[in-house]
Amino acid sequence: MKNIKLHAIILALIIVAELIGTHTITIGIGRIVLLPMLFALLLGILTTPKFLNLSSQKEMVDASSLISVTLMLLMARYGTLVGPTLPKILAASPALILQEFGNLGTVLLGVPFAVYLGLKRETIGAAHSIAREPNVALIGEKFGLDSSEGRGVMGVYIAGTVFGTIFFGIMASVAASTLPIHPYALAMAAGVGSASMMSAALGSLVAMYPDMADQLAAFGAASNMLSGLDGLYMSVWLGLPMTEWLYKKFYKIKYGVEPKEGEEA
Amino acid sequence: MNVKDTVIVLGIVSLMSLFSNVLGTKANIVESIPGLLILAAIALIGMMASKYLPGGIPAAAYVVTIGCIMTIPGFPGSDIVNLYVKKVGFLALCTPILAYAGVAIGKDLDAFAKSGWRICLLAIVVFVGTYIASAIIAQAILKYLGQI
Repeated sequence: MKNIKLHAIILALIIVAELIGTHTITIGIGRIVLLPMLFALLLGILTTPKFLNLSSQKEMVDASSLISVTLMLLMARYGTLVGPTLPKILAASPALILQEFGNLGTVLLGVPFAVYLGLKRETIGAAHSIAREPNVALIGEKFGLDSSEGRGVMGVYIAGTVFGTIFFGIMASVAASTLPIHPYALAMAAGVGSASMMSAALGSLVAMYPDMADQLAAFGAASNMLSGLDGLYMSVWLGLPMTEWLYKKFYKIKYGVEPKEGEEA
Repeated sequence: MNVKDTVIVLGIVSLMSLFSNVLGTKANIVESIPGLLILAAIALIGMMASKYLPGGIPAAAYVVTIGCIMTIPGFPGSDIVNLYVKKVGFLALCTPILAYAGVAIGKDLDAFAKSGWRICLLAIVVFVGTYIASAIIAQAILKYLGQI
C-alpha cells in the first residue's frame, strides 16, 4: 500500500494507456475493440521481471493485494448506472425477467466444457457467468484475481472486451438465420450486461428485420438493464454455487477423485 | 485491511482514476473530483458493511446496491449524485484496475500462458451458452403469453 514505486509505475501505465486511446478494427460485419484498459494490462505485464523488470516481486504482490479495493470504485459507478434505469426495469414484462435465468446457461454449458479442456479451479471464475465487471469484482473479492479462479474470470473478461462485439454480432445473425427462435426473443437474449455486446447483437438483428427495429432495440436495451441489476446477485446466489456443485460432479467423472482447493490447470 | 488502510488505498485509486478520467473522457479535473469522492464514499461504506454486518454478503453486492439506491429517481439527492458521477467514465475507471492487474499477473505469467488458450475457447462456449439459453427461455415465455 505504501509502495510509492508501484503507484508511480501504475500512474505512468495509465497515462500511456489513455494517450494510446481506443482503437477499433473493423472486420467484416464486426469490430475488434482495443480499449485503454487492455493497453494498461499489457504494459503492466511488460513491466514485470520476465520483460522490463521495472516491477519486482514486491510490486507484483502489493499490486495483487490492492485489486479488490480498486474494483469497488468501479462497482460504485456500476450501481449508479443501474439506479436511474430502475423505474424502467421494474416495468419490464415477465418474458424479459424470466429470460435472465438464461444467463445460467453459461454454467450448464461452460462447466462441462471447462473440465473437458482440463481446466481446474479456473473453471469457477471462467464459467460461472459471462464475466463482466461485477463478476470480476466478485471473484476478485472471494478468491483474489491472482488465484486460479481469478485467472479464469480475467481471461473471459478480456476475451469478451476485445472480441465480444464481433462475436455477439456474428452469433446473433447465425442464430437468427438458423434457429427457430423469434427475433424478439433473440433481442431479449442480447442484453447480457454489456452495452457493447448488446448493441452488436442488436445491430445484426435490426439489419435482418428492419421493420421490427424499434421493438428489437427496446427489448435489447431493457434486457441489458435488467442484467446490469441482477447479474451480480444471480452470480452470488445462483451462478457461483451452481458452478461449484457442477464442477465437483464433472471433476469426479473425469478424474475419479474429489477436486482439490486452489488447483490449477 | 483495516479501515485506515482501506481509506488510503481508495484515495490512491481515486487519484489514479482522476488521471484516467481526465485523459480518457476529456472531463476537466475540477468537475471529475466530486463524482470520484462520491464513488469512493459508496465503495467505503459497502466494504465496511460487508466486513461488519452479518450474513457474509460480498462487498461488491453492497457497493452496487448502495450506488443503485442513491441514484434511483426520487431518492433524496439522487439528481446531484447522478450529475456528479456522470462526469466519471465507466471505462476510465477500468484502466487503473487493469494496470494493477497487469503488474500482479506478472507473477503468474506461466500459469496464464498454460491455461490462456483454453480459457479463450471456454469464453466462446460461455457466450454461446448465455445467449442461446436466454433466447430459448424468452421464446418459450413469449409463445406462452401469445406475444409472438
